[in-house]
Formats: sequence, C-alpha cells, structure tokens
Amino acid sequence: MASKIGLVAQREFNENVRTKTFWIGILAVPVLIVLGIGASWLLQQFKETKTYTVVDFSEPAIGRRIEQTARQGDLRAFHAAMEQAGKVMGEIPERGELPDNQTTEELYTAFLDMPASELEALMEQGSGFEAAKKFRFVRLSELELDHLPPEEQAKALTQLVDNDELFAYFTIGHDPKNSDEGFEYVSNNLTDDDLRKWYGGAATRVIQSIRIADTRIPRGVAEHISKEIRFSKKKAEAGTGETADVTVGDTANKWAPVAFVYFLWIAVFSIAQMLLTNTVEEKSMRIMEVLLSSVSPRELMAGKIWGIAATGLTMVGSWVLFALIGIWVAPMILGEFDVPWMQIIGDPRYLISFVAYFLLGYLLYAAVLVAIGSVCNTLKEAQNLMQPVIIILVVPLIAMVIIVQEPNGIVAKVMSYIPLYTPFVMMNRAGGPPETYEYVITGILMLLSVWIAFRAAGKVFRIGVLMTGKPPKLREILGWLRSK
Amino acid sequence: MTDALVLQGVTKRFGSFTAVDDLSLRVPAGCIYGFLGQNGAGKTTTIRMVMSIFHQDSGTISVLGHADASEVKDRLGYLPEEKGLYKKMKTAEIVAYFGKLKGMDTRTANIKAKELLTRFGLADWMDKKCEAMSKGMGQKVQILGTIIHEPDLVILDEPFSGLDPVNRDVMRDTILQMKREGRTVIFSTHVMEQAEQLCDSVMMIHKGQLAFAGKLTEIKTGRDFGIQIDYDGDGRVLEQTPGLQRVNDQGKKAEIYLKRDQDPQTALRWLMDHLTIRRFDYREPSLHEIFVRTVEQRDTALAAAEENA
Repeated sequence: MASKIGLVAQREFNENVRTKTFWIGILAVPVLIVLGIGASWLLQQFKETKTYTVVDFSEPAIGRRIEQTARQGDLRAFHAAMEQAGKVMGEIPERGELPDNQTTEELYTAFLDMPASELEALMEQGSGFEAAKKFRFVRLSELELDHLPPEEQAKALTQLVDNDELFAYFTIGHDPKNSDEGFEYVSNNLTDDDLRKWYGGAATRVIQSIRIADTRIPRGVAEHISKEIRFSKKKAEAGTGETADVTVGDTANKWAPVAFVYFLWIAVFSIAQMLLTNTVEEKSMRIMEVLLSSVSPRELMAGKIWGIAATGLTMVGSWVLFALIGIWVAPMILGEFDVPWMQIIGDPRYLISFVAYFLLGYLLYAAVLVAIGSVCNTLKEAQNLMQPVIIILVVPLIAMVIIVQEPNGIVAKVMSYIPLYTPFVMMNRAGGPPETYEYVITGILMLLSVWIAFRAAGKVFRIGVLMTGKPPKLREILGWLRSK
Repeated sequence: MTDALVLQGVTKRFGSFTAVDDLSLRVPAGCIYGFLGQNGAGKTTTIRMVMSIFHQDSGTISVLGHADASEVKDRLGYLPEEKGLYKKMKTAEIVAYFGKLKGMDTRTANIKAKELLTRFGLADWMDKKCEAMSKGMGQKVQILGTIIHEPDLVILDEPFSGLDPVNRDVMRDTILQMKREGRTVIFSTHVMEQAEQLCDSVMMIHKGQLAFAGKLTEIKTGRDFGIQIDYDGDGRVLEQTPGLQRVNDQGKKAEIYLKRDQDPQTALRWLMDHLTIRRFDYREPSLHEIFVRTVEQRDTALAAAEENA
C-alpha cells in the first residue's frame, strides 16, 4: 500500500516540480521582495521636496522664530558645513534648542539666502539636513506676494495650492499669546501629514515659550513643568532580575513572527490551492477511474496530498534558502545592519515552527480542499465552494498584528486551540513565546484534527471522485460522512 | 474450465435507485465475453464492482478465484469508458506509470512500455507529451497502459467508441491477441456487430436485471429464423411483405421476420418482384435483432406489471 501511495506522490511531485512555472513562481517571491524594497527606497530618494509658505498675522510676528525652531537640525548642519568651509558663523550651543539671538538670526538668514544649487550640494555632502530634504520654505517675496495685505496673500496662496504650485501654506493667528484662533494649514493633500506635524511641533514650542515669558513663572521652572516625559524602553533579562536596553534586534525579533505568518499563509494557501486545482483537473481529464482500478481511493488521496506536500516543502525550502542567502549577501552590498537577521531567521523557534506548522497547516487544509476538489467537475464550481474556506483563512491575517502585540493575550490563547488557526496563531505568538505545554497541547490537537480531517475527506473523496454532473448538496456529503 | 469471474446475486443500489438487481453470472477463463445493454442498464456499475471501485450491497463476486477482488487487483487490467491521460506526461512514462501502479518494478515497467509502444507503431512518440497525440493514438496508449502488466483478466468498457475504422481494427486485433495468449477479456459495447464478431459468450443486462447470458450459439438457438437481405430500391415496400411479423430495415440491408407457419419462399419471391435483391439468407436472428427484441419485450412486460400494480 505504502509503495502505491509513494508512486502517486512521486508522480504528483514530478509533474509540479518539472514545470517552469513552478520555479518561476518560487523565484518570483524573492525577486518581488527585492523589487519592493528597492522601489520603496527609490520612492524615498525621489520623494519631492514639499514647498510651503507662511502667512503671518501675528503681532509681533513669530513666523520667523517658528521657522528657526523647526529648522534646528538644518541650521546645525549648515553651521557645521560653513565651519568646515572656513566661514565663521558665530558660536552655537552644543546641545539643546538654538537660542533666540543674533547668531541664530544670522545663521538663518545665511541659510535662507544660500542659492538653491549650493544648498543642494551641501545637502548631498553633509548629513543632518533632514527637514531641508523634505520641506522647503518659500518666501512670500519669491512669490511676489509680500506687498499685499495678509488677507490678500492668503487668497492668492489658496489659488497656488489649488493649482498645485504650492504644497501647502500655514496661517499664524493674530494673537498667539492669548488665543488659539487663526492657525490654519491649507493643502490639497489630505493624507500626507508630515509637514503639518513638523511645523506644528515647532509652533507649539515657540508659542509655549512666549506664553511662559508672559507669566511670572521663572522660565526654567516653566520649561521643567512643560517638559514631556519619555519612558525609556527596557526589557527584563531572563533569570537575572536585571533589566536591559531594548535593541533594534529585540524589536525586530518580536515582529519577525508577522513575516513568518505571512509567508506561512501564502505557502499553505497556494499549495493547498494547487492540490484543489490538480484534483479537479484530474477529474475533468477523466483519469480517476483508471487510477482507481489500480489503487484504492484512500491511497490515491494520500498520494496526492503527500506529493503536493513535497512540492510545498520544496517551495518553502527554496524560500528559506533565498532568505539565508539574502541575509548573507545583503550586508556585503548595503553594509552591516543593527538587526541580527541571521539569528532571528535561524532561531529554531521560528524556523522549525515555520516548517512544522507549514506541514500541519497544509495537511489540514489539504484534506478540506481535496474533498472539495473531488466533488467538483470544473474549477468554477470549486472556486464557489472555496469561498467559505477563504473567509476562514483570512481571520489569522486580520488578527496578525493584535496577536504579535499580545502574544500571550486571551485572543491569542483562544485562537491557538482552534485547529484551523493553530498553525498561524502559534507561529504568530512565537515572539512571546507560548509556554511549552501550549505547544504540546495544540500540537496534539492539530495532529488529531489532521487525522479526523483525513478520514472525513477520504469518505467524501471515495464517492465524490467518480461523480459527474451537479456537485452534491451539503446534506448528501454529511450522509457520506456517516457511511462506513 | 475454471471461471475467471463469478457473480452471485449481486445487487447495488444508489439511494432508492437499484442499478444492478440480483445479478448472477459466470465468465469462463480464456474467453472473450461481451457485456451488452442500453445506456444506464448497469454495465459500468457491474464492471466497477468487479474492479472493487464500488462495493456491492449484497451478493458475492469472485474474481480469478478470489472472493475479494482487491486481492487480485494487480492481475486485472481495466480500461474505463471515460478514459484520459495526464497531458503533461510523456507517452512512455505514463504507460510505465500504469504498470508500476500494478506492481511492476520501475526497470521492467520502463522496458516493457517502450517495447509495447514500438510494437504498436508509436516508437516515435515515446518521448512526446500525451497532449500532442491524436485521439486514436491516445486510445492506443491507454490500452497499452491497461495491458502492460500482462493481466489475466482484462475489462474494457466501450473500447470501440470514438475510434476510426483503422483503430477499431487495431483494438480488435489486440483483443484477439489477448485471447490467444490465454487471457480473459470482458468488454462492454453498444455495437452488436462487434460483439457478434468477437465474443464467445455474451450477457445482456436491462434496467439492472440480467436478460440473458451464455454462448452466442446457445442464445440464438430456438429463436425465430429470419430472412436477411441486401437490397436496392424503396425500402417502404418491405412493410407489405406477405406474412410479415416485423421488419428491421437498415436502408441497404434488412431483416424480415414472418408470422408462424408462413412460407419464407413466398415472401422471398415477393421481395424479388419488388426490390433488387443482391444477397439473401435465411438464418437465426442477428444479435442486434435479439437485443432490440429483448428491450421491447422487457419494456412491455415492465409496463404491464406497473399497470397491474
């Protein structure tokens, strides 16, 4: 019996693995990932500098001070670049905010007056021009609006925004010391909020300091009071009772399961789907009966499932191989990472779980899909019957982020014990990680479900595979399940 | 002579529908045996039970002396009516694959597959994929897949359907060759001429029940003789033949059955006056005639039984 299952499995495996499309499909995954990373990197590089301006209604005017505050980083970088070029721009403090003084003012003026081409050259050489790369302030005089009263300016600027000649403009309220009115941000881009947040942060700091100066509270005290508290991230070191700083690698480690679940999902789904298509095709090619004269339906089904499992393992194995090569090659091209990728991917908690859960998940879904395939005569019928399965399969994808944030939370724990979700959810929780007993219990549950699903699928397959005409009703299929 | 296949009181139901009803049958070893019957009569169901693809609800089936057909699965060859090939597999591979599924070792199966393909004129196609072949060639490959493991009992379900005359002859020769080699061949067919030419024995199944079974000669014995003619002319006059009971007119050929005590000489003389007769014969009925008569008689009897009920 075993040898016949082996023969069927071997044929399935050869047929799939020998096709070019199979290998193109496997290669497509790393190629697409590399392209995707490359494309987002390129997009980042070519992201257009956003232009904006400010209509300042405030008296006395605070617009210039807000600009200086927002551009602290740019100004420091500019200062460094100028010093390097041998131009003296005065002393600035090593750390903290640039003071509201003559030096800052001069530095800012020089920065603004620098011709665009020279500034670009500076930005390419030096680091630190973070804001300048993203946002460019356009003086009203450049737009020839400086001679108009503020109301007219706003009107003209709205026109420019409407014509896409200007990304956005801000208005600063009349009396920022006493009122929050009149602060507006006008743009037609409703999704990209970076500029508003960046400028808003600087405006808040400037106006806060004005308001503090207006009270009798000493400046130092006020600043101390209004200072934001930041919790520094630490983690408990296992067994030592000590805490340690959280590294980029730690964070990556916690989020790695998401990537694993995603690949697991693709692997299970595409391979199980392959089995379904293959079964329906075999049925429509009328080859089933010849096979059934030599092997029993059970042997045929098992052979198909294992043959395609081997195909799937080839796919998954190739991916793992690509990932390992990628991790090995990437630092040579892009320089060293902060993230210990090798350690994460090589972690048995991830790699072994990935392969084991792929196999278990595939077997469970394979049993369901092979049963569906056996009762359908066309792919269209099969797709209709697949819909509920797809809905079930989408749940772990939706729950992915919730579970990675709370790997030992109640949602994660409950879902681990639903066999259809066990592989995905347990993989998802690997960063937790779950207790050993959970691995054991869910593993046993999973094996048990695979066994039950195989038996049920065997009954449906035995009858369904020789049926022609309309697919059977659910009630009929339940009848088959009850038969011996 | 031993029996290759024995069915006793075999019944198979699908829900409320009885596909095969209390069927008993003996197929002697080494003969060519025809399974006859209309579409849906129960031939394929019977064959599937013999192949242990289906299991009977009651009765016993003994194949090659074994009570459980699945024990001798590897000694059986089966060509179903609905037959296909894996399109992407190479011809030699698929023939060998069928052999391996029947328990042949890989080496023997590969050698035998190539040998058979060469013998059947498909040597040039060994390394080509099945999808490239014509229907006739595909059928040949299927037959080779059925016989590669040299089965003792070969069951062919409608082997002639869809074949052109040349390939029909190839199929016929293959069947005769298998008989010469001492194998038992069972085939089902709608084409009575084929059964008549090839079979030693036949059985007919009608609506799940056995209508008749036995050697061809035995089946024909005792039945009405008929006038068989080849003719030219307007076949409508056949209806007016003196003493006519019924006529089976095929356009250029006809079988004419007379009422009891009617003189065939008179009828023949009348026919020669009205048509151009190219050949004539007076003999036992053809299998075709027996088949059609059986269907008529059984349907009438069933209708009467239903009316009484």
